[in-house]
Amino acid sequence: MDQISELVEKAKEVRKKLIEFKTKSGIGHLASSLSLVELLVSLYFDQNTFFDHTTDRLIFGKAHGGPAVYPILADLGYFPEKELISYAKPEGILRLHPDQSIPGCTYVGGSLGNAIGYASGLAWANRQKRFVVVLGDAELYEGAVWESLLFISHHRLNNLVLVIDRNGLGILGKTEELLKLEPLKSKFVSFGFDVFGANGHDLLQLRKSFSKAPLAPTLIILDTVKSKGISFMEGKAEFHTVIPQDARVVQKMLEDLS
Amino acid sequence: MKSHRDEFIEQLLVEAKKNRDVILISVDMGAPALDRWRTELPDQFLFAGISEQNAINLAAGLSRAGKKPYVYMMACWVARCFEQIRYSCAMAANPITILGTGVGLGYAPAGPAHEPTDDLAYMRAIDGIEIISPSFLASIKPIVHLTLQKPRLRYIRLERSMHPHISEFIPEEKSHEIVQSGFYAFKNFSPAKSNLKISLLASGYILNKTKEVGTILEVEHGFNVQILDIIRIKPLNPVKLIEILQGSRFIVTIEEQALDGGFGAAIAETLIDNICQLPCLRLGLLQAYIFENGSREELLNKFGLGQEEIIQKILTFRNQINRLNRT
Repeated sequence: MDQISELVEKAKEVRKKLIEFKTKSGIGHLASSLSLVELLVSLYFDQNTFFDHTTDRLIFGKAHGGPAVYPILADLGYFPEKELISYAKPEGILRLHPDQSIPGCTYVGGSLGNAIGYASGLAWANRQKRFVVVLGDAELYEGAVWESLLFISHHRLNNLVLVIDRNGLGILGKTEELLKLEPLKSKFVSFGFDVFGANGHDLLQLRKSFSKAPLAPTLIILDTVKSKGISFMEGKAEFHTVIPQDARVVQKMLEDLS
Repeated sequence: MKSHRDEFIEQLLVEAKKNRDVILISVDMGAPALDRWRTELPDQFLFAGISEQNAINLAAGLSRAGKKPYVYMMACWVARCFEQIRYSCAMAANPITILGTGVGLGYAPAGPAHEPTDDLAYMRAIDGIEIISPSFLASIKPIVHLTLQKPRLRYIRLERSMHPHISEFIPEEKSHEIVQSGFYAFKNFSPAKSNLKISLLASGYILNKTKEVGTILEVEHGFNVQILDIIRIKPLNPVKLIEILQGSRFIVTIEEQALDGGFGAAIAETLIDNICQLPCLRLGLLQAYIFENGSREELLNKFGLGQEEIIQKILTFRNQINRLNRT
């Protein structure tokens, strides 16, 4: 896709499907998935970003937000669309955390702070391929992340792009009130990264951030909103694992999108 | 004469020169053999810093990319990266080889943080992992070959120091076969006529003391002792193991570990699961975390694994069994 308006429509469609299968099952982390929608649409559908899903690999650190990729993978033919209805059901192949048993997915999901180290091994051994790791901002509390940052920076792994989903919330509330992460940008700069920021819901800004394959170790901090697209849930920590299932509420959520 | 650790790295270096995919990762741990590796194969050496968690994740990624990664660390630190071994290697099906050096009280008197006396218990819980605990030096080369030829998630427990007594009594040509089967049985004394057959099972460093105990039990107490050196602790080889234990009055497991979930527990589980009702005495360290100064031998003697104490416990166990049999 080339037109931003098309991508905006695609994001709306992905968000709608995501809300549908998440509210139907009531299982997982809808709020954390919603903040990733535009990022994934940009990487998978915008022809002007460097990521090529047929050769490059996207690896989730915050895999609890990973189900946002399921409507996209179904759309691209990795598995039948009807799998979305069977999400988290015994007969279905899609799970709460994406893992390598699911077509189009890789690694495992559910343990924070590890994907970045795993991806740095892949990137070191395979300099011709590109890897994108999606980390949650609260995932940065895991010390192993910082161990890996040292390694990536030292080895100048420019085929590995780190994306921080900076929605500002952990389970218990705002990161800056609970245990400060800021100033994030200068922390990463001091570790030797090229650091860019973008509005994680603006497809034009995302295009600019991912337009060229980087020449240096790169980290992109995306300002995002947890539960993006559902007004009454947006930016509220209490919806981390709470998914509305009441039919009228779900109807309102879907209307909210249009 | 070399330590397990140096022999392993040297043998692996020989293979690595023929195979560019072999990558050795150090978490700031050195060894004489490692100095050679860094000079001769710098492109196949990765320094991860003192960061065991990242080292394991990194190795998992290398493995997925087709490399054969070996992570070299102090054995005690496998606890520190347990989650990464479990998650990035076992769950994600990425085979790597973990070289843990300084097992049991091998770092004495460094204190309990450096002395893994419970690593078998938690590493045994990892699904699909293979745990190898060699004793004699000639077994190292076939173990190196095994890790290259049959990649899987492995934890290899190595001695960091030289121990002549556990390094000499197996001919090299037999060691390949022994590594394949995972254990071997031997009698260390002249064929005893006694029909009071018992089996002593041990692994690694403590095997030497087990041999000494076996000799005394034969010479002074009339037992007919068979000793089993269990090189592969997981998975065990239950069919062959039970076959060779048959005819024993009882068996004794001796380990340089706290008992919960350890070596003896692995043996006992195997007996139970295979409906083998041999009485089993498990001997190990009296406590896991030892805050005392002393050499490895001094600490073993003080915390339940002195030669005389082992013999007394075995004799008491025999008496208990005899009493039970009479009633």
